[in-house]
Parts: sequence; C-alpha cells; structure tokens
Amino acid sequence: MSSKKPDSLDPWAKPSGGLINWLKDHGRTFNDTTLYVSQRLASSLFVWFLVGIALALPGILWLAQVNLHAVGEGWQGRAGLTVYFEAGVNPSNIEAVLKDLETMPLVDKTALTTSDQALQDFVAQTSDSLELRNILASLDENPLPASIQITSREGADFIELESLQRQLRAKSQINDVVIEKTWLERLRDITSLLNRLGWILGLLFGLGAIFVTSASVRLAIESRLEELLVLALVGATKGQMRRPFIYFGACYGVGGGVMAVMFLALILNAIEGPLQALLGSYQVPLVVQGFNGQFLLSMLGIGIFLGVIGAWVAVRQRLHSAQFL
Amino acid sequence: MASIVLENVTKQFSSGYKALADVSVEFASGSMTFLTGHSGAGKSTFLRLLIGADEPTRGRVLVGGVNISQLSAKRMPWYRRNVGVVFQDHHLLADRSVFENVALPLRIGHFPAKEIAPRVRGALSAVDLLDKEKLLPGFLSTGEQQRVGIARAVVNRPKILLADEPTGNLDPDLSQTIMDLFSQFREIGTTVIIATHDIELVKNMGQPTLKLVAGCLEDPVAAQTKVTEFNL
Repeated sequence: MSSKKPDSLDPWAKPSGGLINWLKDHGRTFNDTTLYVSQRLASSLFVWFLVGIALALPGILWLAQVNLHAVGEGWQGRAGLTVYFEAGVNPSNIEAVLKDLETMPLVDKTALTTSDQALQDFVAQTSDSLELRNILASLDENPLPASIQITSREGADFIELESLQRQLRAKSQINDVVIEKTWLERLRDITSLLNRLGWILGLLFGLGAIFVTSASVRLAIESRLEELLVLALVGATKGQMRRPFIYFGACYGVGGGVMAVMFLALILNAIEGPLQALLGSYQVPLVVQGFNGQFLLSMLGIGIFLGVIGAWVAVRQRLHSAQFL
Repeated sequence: MASIVLENVTKQFSSGYKALADVSVEFASGSMTFLTGHSGAGKSTFLRLLIGADEPTRGRVLVGGVNISQLSAKRMPWYRRNVGVVFQDHHLLADRSVFENVALPLRIGHFPAKEIAPRVRGALSAVDLLDKEKLLPGFLSTGEQQRVGIARAVVNRPKILLADEPTGNLDPDLSQTIMDLFSQFREIGTTVIIATHDIELVKNMGQPTLKLVAGCLEDPVAAQTKVTEFNL
C-alpha cells in the first residue's frame, strides 16, 4: 500500500535559480512583446496616438510655462520705470533728476538716453523703411525725447514703483513715467496660471493615459485568455502570466512618449514664426527652453511609468477575476 | 514520485449540483488507473481537483502528502510543473508552432536551452509528429492536435500525468501507441490517471479501473484494493 506520509519534505517547493530564470523570462517576454506589437501595428499606433496626445498637452503647457518664466527672468533686469522728458528739456534738469534718483533706495541703477541717441537708435531700427527716413528728413528738429531707464532694486513691489512714478511725474519738464513692472506682473500671473493648469491637466491626462493603456491591455488579456489558461496549467507563476502585459503597457508608454515628443516638435515648429515676431517686438530673441534631451527622456519615462501602471491595474483586475488563473 | 490520496472528497457547485460525493481513493506512486463513467459522472471534476483548478467542498486531496487545496497561490505553479495534463479539447496556442506548443512547459519551467530541442523532438517523435514541428496547430487534424497536447503533457517528464479522453480523436492503432507511451511513464514512476469512455482500450491495457456513477465510486472498496495493490 502507498504511504500517506509526504514523499519528501516538500515535493512542491520553489525550484532554485531565481535571478537567472527571472532574467531569462524577461528576455523571452521582451522578444514575444516586440513580435506581438509588430504584428498588430495598426492597433498599437492608435494607442500610441492617444497616449501621445495625453502626454503632449501637459507637455506643451509645461514648455510654455518654462519659456514664459525665462522671458520674465530676462525682462526682470530691465524692470522698473522709464522717465520721458519733454522735448527740448534743459540738460541741467536731466542731471538734477539723475542725482535725485541716485539717492533713492528703490533705485538700483539708471541709464540715460539722450534725444540724439534715441534718434540714432530709431534710425538704426527703421533703416529699411524709406518712408520713415523721408519723414525724419523733413522734420526741422528731433521729435524724440530724452529718457532715463530706471532699474528698481530686486524685490521692489508694484506699490513702491507707483509711488516713485507719482513722485517723478510731479517734477518739472517730465512728460511721462511708465512702469514696466505691469507687463512683468502679468507675465508672472500667466506663468503661474500655466504652471497650475499644467499640473491639473497633467494629472487628468495622466489618468487618461492610464485608462487608455489599461483598456488596451485588458483587450489584449481577453484575446489571450486561452493562452493564460494553458500557461497556468503548465505551471506559470502569476509573475510569468502578468509580465507580457506589463511589457505591453511599457511599450504603449514608450510609443506614446515618442508620439508626444513628435507632436510637441510639430507644435513648436508651427508656432515658431508668430512667436518669433511677438518676442522680436519686445527685443527678446526666440530661444526655446526646456525642449532638450532631458525633457525627451522625461516624456519617455513618464510614458513608460503611466503605461506600466495602466497595464498593472488591468492585469491585476483581470487575473484576479479569472477563474482558475 | 507522487502518491495521490482523496479522502472523503465532495465537490458541490454553487448551483447545488454535487459533482463528487464522499469519494475516497488512493493512487500509489507509479500506478496507472483508468477513470470511467458516463458524461456528467464527475470524471472531469475529479481531474480538475487534482490539477488544483477546483477545491473540494469537503475532504482532502493529498498529492505527495501535501493537501493541494491548501497550497498557496505562490506554490501552486511549482506543483503544476510536476503535473502533465492532456485535455479533451487540446488547449493549443494557435499562434505558436507545434514545436513551441510542446516546448511551453519547458520554457515556463526554465529548462536549460540545450535540453529543450532534444526533449521536444523526443516527445514529438513518441506521438509520431516529428515532421510537423514547424506547423501551426490550425494546419493539423484534430487527432494530430490531440497528439501535440499529449506531447506537451509528457515533455517535462511529470510526476503525475492526467488525461481527459486522450484518445477520443485517435484511431485504434494510434490510441494503443499513446497508451503504450503512458505505460512507459508509469514504469519510470509517473502516476497516471486517464479518464476515458473507451472500454475496449481499458480492457486491452489490463490496468485498474475506477468507475464513477453520479459522483460516487461504483464500488469503493473494490476500487481501492485494485488501484493500490495492483501497482505494488
């Protein structure tokens, strides 16, 4: 008669060779996934497209925010006020104003542009316009006023600048005082808004990318349930059954990341002309910041992360609910 | 190798249907047993309990002394790697070649790469399909698909071999060849249990037979004696 005692201490113990076997499994899964995706390129492209859009929208907002911030930083050096004198102002008045400004704690530095310099600058900037040259030549005297550009000390707030503006306007032979800070503040508000919007949209579209990947992986699981059943019967672990689908998720994420980068490159290319014209009017050169190797790698990394999360959610739910697996 | 013991096993489904009722039987290591009975008698449920695909409502299923219904989800795969299963409906992977279908248990079980091809070809040769290793299952006849399933079940030389109607789609000569193959496994210590309707084949093999009738062993005492003593 056979014995009821165990045939050995534990006949169904885990076999040895963990790490090497695990690496071999990954190699095999990588090859299988590449083959599976390449055989279903059309449906994979569709998923990449959707994930790409989900990543590109927050991506463009982030880029916009980074670049506006950089523009703001660039303008900050010239933030402050510009004092415009009346035409034909007495040079001693200008000197007096400059001396006064030097004593004010709010003022960091000043730069005088005489009316002659202003005219030279204007001529230089409009040298390609024959009409303007003719108009200037027809004038008896220089119509451009002298001006002083005041750079406020760092951290000066808008109220302080307004107070200085009122003070300077009260002086004689000063025509106008313009605060440049208002543009900067608006820009900062926009940057701040974009930053917050970027985070919110990033979160929403990130969830969207997870759902898209999750739904696609779920479809892949449904189409391979028979295979999962066979795998379970021949002794595949949950990890071995899950792994191909996690790889799908990663693959969808990588594809989505590449798509997102392509979308962003196209968008940046499309807006380059108008943006250059806009920034040129503020004498700010167009240098796109943030769209570099690190950004591209980040997009791929975020894509992979979201793809893996989506796949993991789908696989966990489906394998848990599948009987026998 | 592995002995199998069922102790007062009852399997009742949530619908109330009782597929097995208080079944007790013991299979010695290296025994070969036929399980017969009409459709719905409980043969498939019996095999599913042994694979760990179902749990008994009452009683215990001990394989190698371990109650497999209490095996954790992590340990179940290690157990299943020692069980070869032949299905009535083959369960082949349609997008993999015959070779890859048969190699599946070896790849899952992390057999060394150099061992895989000889083992797969050995198993295919035993079921007379060596010349079709590159074909997809869809290009094979039902009988050939059945034989691929058999090759897959034996390729890793399991400790337990369970077969559900393994010769249902085969001609008598090929059926005998497959039974001889199963016998060879019994001789090297594999515990073999075959569910079948083919009474002629059972008689030819001269191995012990258990008959299930409405979830119960027809003659539990006689069956117990036959299964355990015949094989010792």
